[in-house]
Amino acid sequence: MNPRTGWRIVALREIETKVRDRAFVLTTLGTLALIIGSIVVAGMLSARTASYLVIATDETSFQVLAEARDTPPEGIDLSILRMAQSAAEQRLEQEQVTAFLGTDDQGRFTLTGKDTVPGELRKLIGDSLSTVLTEQLLQQQGVADAELPRASDLRVAQLDGDADRSSMVRAMALIFSFLFYMASLMFGMPIANSVIEEKQNRVVEILASAIPLRQLLAGKILGNVVLALLQLLLFLAIGLAAAYLSPIELPFLGVVSQVAGWFVVFFLGGFLLLAGVWAALGSLATRTEDLQQSSGPIIAVLMAVLFLGLYASGQLLVVASYIPIASSVAMPIRLLSGEVPWWEPALSLGIMALSCWVVLRFAERIYRRAVMHTEGTLSIKKALQIQL
Amino acid sequence: MLELENITRAFGDRTVLDEVSFSVPAGTLTGFVGANGAGKTTTMRIIMGLLAAHGGSVRLNGRTLPVSTRPEFGYMPEERGLYPKQPVLRQLMYLGQLHGLSRADCRARALELLDRFGLAERATAKLESLSLGNQQRVQVVAALLHRPKVLVLDEPFSGLDPLAVDAMSSILRDYAAQGVPVLFSSHQLDLLDALVDHLVIIQEGRILADAPAEQLRAEQAHRHRLHLGADAGWLREEPGVEVIDLSGPEALVSFASPQEAQRVLGCAVRRGAVHEFAVYRPSLADIYREVIQ
Repeated sequence: MNPRTGWRIVALREIETKVRDRAFVLTTLGTLALIIGSIVVAGMLSARTASYLVIATDETSFQVLAEARDTPPEGIDLSILRMAQSAAEQRLEQEQVTAFLGTDDQGRFTLTGKDTVPGELRKLIGDSLSTVLTEQLLQQQGVADAELPRASDLRVAQLDGDADRSSMVRAMALIFSFLFYMASLMFGMPIANSVIEEKQNRVVEILASAIPLRQLLAGKILGNVVLALLQLLLFLAIGLAAAYLSPIELPFLGVVSQVAGWFVVFFLGGFLLLAGVWAALGSLATRTEDLQQSSGPIIAVLMAVLFLGLYASGQLLVVASYIPIASSVAMPIRLLSGEVPWWEPALSLGIMALSCWVVLRFAERIYRRAVMHTEGTLSIKKALQIQL
Repeated sequence: MLELENITRAFGDRTVLDEVSFSVPAGTLTGFVGANGAGKTTTMRIIMGLLAAHGGSVRLNGRTLPVSTRPEFGYMPEERGLYPKQPVLRQLMYLGQLHGLSRADCRARALELLDRFGLAERATAKLESLSLGNQQRVQVVAALLHRPKVLVLDEPFSGLDPLAVDAMSSILRDYAAQGVPVLFSSHQLDLLDALVDHLVIIQEGRILADAPAEQLRAEQAHRHRLHLGADAGWLREEPGVEVIDLSGPEALVSFASPQEAQRVLGCAVRRGAVHEFAVYRPSLADIYREVIQ
């Protein structure tokens, strides 16, 4: 046989075993449903439009309603009818319309509803009323409308970027951090467990007599990396597709898609590094129970990265975006703000690649020595002293 | 033929194998016996290329084998289990592919062997649902899948019931008959007697015997068993007779010469009934006990 294909067989088996695992399939489908569901719900919430049908009983009222109809705030759909007051009262009585607007002989406007007039409608018509009346007044005074100062003349600036953007960054930070955390546990821990299983019942000796241990390890890590990546791509693709297809327009979708691409690359680096650590931890243990102890520090690191993604900002986030594992989450979050020069992620990726190489080499050294050792749990130091 | 020459291995400053040399002739079942910690597993791991020797060489048909993988060998490690939670056929196919078989070939070969071992209908069952004996058979199937040129089995009989022992024996015998060197270790010495053609005895990392079983038996066949009609205690007083074991009318003795044997036989006949007077053919267990003393 061509011994170079050993890793491929191992990787394929890792994938096959996982895909047949019911828990894995259910978690994936569940997460997908959650992603699609939350986007649909968000879309539905903001797509909810209130439709009002209001009757104008005279010309001025009609002008006011027309102004309101032509400058409606988001989420309000206003239709107007023009008819006499008596007909309007009848319609309102039968609840065919929301309200009617009319003026009395003193020129006072009254908005009449059946039992209640919705607040947003009251506000909308009130605003239009003052606009229309002001315009009329100005015209009488000979002042052109365009000369007036307007509320839109006030430009809003925020020190920390704009408000919409920062809430988008927070939302995506949550998603990135959570996806990374989930994948690290869901695909990382099984690497350690599968190493322990093979060590515990000595299958590893049969495997190692057939293919080099390095290939066995490579196949194991690769299989899980491919799965984790495919799952991530699936989540991102479905999430983005749902966002694009959603009837309402989500802001910053372009930036998010772009940064999602970066996130995939950073995710891959961070995951690869962790995979090496998980494999080494697995080979040091003798039983699955040992892993609960030895995985403590790595889970603490993952939690720290999760919270970092959720809460860090400013200098802390900048520093974190260069530290491998943390950078998998921190750099994409920084990129979302759109103010990071291109060389920063490139440099961070370089650091990540270098650390991956070092950690994987080290993990392989430990794995090769420790995985055949069956007398008790090993420390890293003891493992490195084992002669092959 | 598989040969080991002056294999030495230490762990730290503890020497585990000291100039270990022996051979596993093609077509024979070679038993490898020794106490716990004598170095059997270390030796087997070195044969399998899983562990490096600090000195000496392993040769197959005259060619020195490097420390690397041995996909053409069949191996059964000591504590077996394969993947308990996986179906039998699927893990056999995985192992077969790692040993270089194509998927189709793997499947056909695995099913053929499972069928031979009466496990065909358990092919899709999880390994852990099988009895220990059947799990061990699956292990052997795993070792035989890729038609190995050499078979190395660490304690293949441990934990097997008598029927499973018989089945395992006939499997190994069949395989050896195809001209493959088969080396297996065992604690069950009585079992070796009927099975092995060649015996290697190791103690504290040193080889004490490496010879065909027949030759070992012949070398040790200088004793006689006597079964008399009455108490055999008088044998202790006879010159030229060493009493090794004595219980009532039965005795195991060693004579200084064939002439002494004939003389004592004459005495015995004169004293009364002689039910048995025979050259004692020692079991391999006896030989082992003798050799390690």
